[in-house]
Amino acid sequence: MDGLISFFASHYAIRAEVVLKRNGLAAHLIPGPKELSPNCGVALRFDYAQRENVLTVLAAKSVQIDGVHFYRPRTDEWNVRQAESR
Amino acid sequence: MIYFDNAATSWPKPAAVRAALSDYVGDAGGNPGRSGHRMSVAAARIVERAREALAELFHAHDPSRIVFTQNATQALNQALYGLLRPGDHVVTTSVEHNSVMRPLRHLETLGVELTVVSCNRDGMLDLNRVRRALRPGTRLLVTTHGSNVVGTLTPVVALAALAREQGIPYLVDASQTAGAIPIDVQEMGVDLLAFTGHKALLGPTGTGGLYIREGVVLAPLMRGGTGSDSAQETQPEFLPDAYESGTLNVAGIAGLGAGVRFLSEIGIEAVQAHERKLVAQFLAGAAEISGITLYGPKDAALQCGVVSFNVAGAMPSEVGLILDQSFGIMARTGLHCAPSAHRTLGTFPTGTVRFSFGWFNTSAEVGLALEALREIAVWAANGAVVSARGDPG
Repeated sequence: MDGLISFFASHYAIRAEVVLKRNGLAAHLIPGPKELSPNCGVALRFDYAQRENVLTVLAAKSVQIDGVHFYRPRTDEWNVRQAESR
Repeated sequence: MIYFDNAATSWPKPAAVRAALSDYVGDAGGNPGRSGHRMSVAAARIVERAREALAELFHAHDPSRIVFTQNATQALNQALYGLLRPGDHVVTTSVEHNSVMRPLRHLETLGVELTVVSCNRDGMLDLNRVRRALRPGTRLLVTTHGSNVVGTLTPVVALAALAREQGIPYLVDASQTAGAIPIDVQEMGVDLLAFTGHKALLGPTGTGGLYIREGVVLAPLMRGGTGSDSAQETQPEFLPDAYESGTLNVAGIAGLGAGVRFLSEIGIEAVQAHERKLVAQFLAGAAEISGITLYGPKDAALQCGVVSFNVAGAMPSEVGLILDQSFGIMARTGLHCAPSAHRTLGTFPTGTVRFSFGWFNTSAEVGLALEALREIAVWAANGAVVSARGDPG
């Protein structure tokens, strides 16, 4: 996923994930990168190619956003292991 | 044991409510909106799921217009202090709980003008009296949706229309009705709806909230950390954060969300029908017991799941004690934090005995309570209660 949406508050981030998934759009919440998401801890990753669909759905559900970014972080190259469950 | 004190707090809570509390404390654990890691996100999901369930329940289109508070009292204070300024005029009714009356009496000392419209002895409100009380400087109309003392329902739809004509917001205290009576903020035309989480919504204590219609702007009651706009030293203006400073009661909200989802599956109409049936059974049975005085409209269609009565020859507190100690029936006696309502009913300062029914009460329980009251009424009529009190004679 190469798109990122930043939000003013976590309410909107969580709500965005819910409404996007309900509309069959991929969405994944991550700790927001400070340079793009100064306003709250969490940001949403999505497929940038779906940008218009994503923004249409969010607007229809009154989900306020801070900004939309093309985002390919260095951390994507990090070999992420599944965290061990407790 | 028979629990008839659901207007104070509901009991029991659904198993799902207990499970949700336990899941949060045991597993989700994080602080919502403060960090981006998965435990913080898990906590935020719990909060937002509950917010969405409440928005659906009250037919609010945008969940961000529901803000969480500690209880209905905080929600009412947020609305009243957030809106009223010295020189403003506010209209309310004589059956309000102290959660409305005390902030208003305090605001009066700050220069807010208050008109308290008297209800009749059944707690019924005359719309014409409200119409006459409204004037050009009136800034707010605030009423309960259902009396916590006698259960009398307020004609909220008609009052909302009056407020709209006047161009002022209408604040409804839904402490006794949210979860027990269908509420549609759009259809009813309510601008501000204060609710508690731990009564008919079946959540834990320490939960509540306020619905704020779009366009209604309130000064925040509290300011502080929200997890958002952290670079700013001023309070954010967007909802829900503007009114949610400090860490929320996530465990409580987890339980509240589970309670609301439990109710949504049953349907509030079914809850209302169930409580009406119990109220009707109680009113019919109690009317036949000599020595019992019933208060309020005495019509199940005109009240929520609350009934109030007295037994001749006994103080309300004595009846409550006997109900508890001898019959295992939990009632609330006295003034119910609503002295003005009791003045309206003519039951100030001794008060009444109150039964308040909930989804988990049964017709059999109401039958047992009526039998108990029959015994107590005879006992009181024979003076047994008076001598037990140690009065001379």
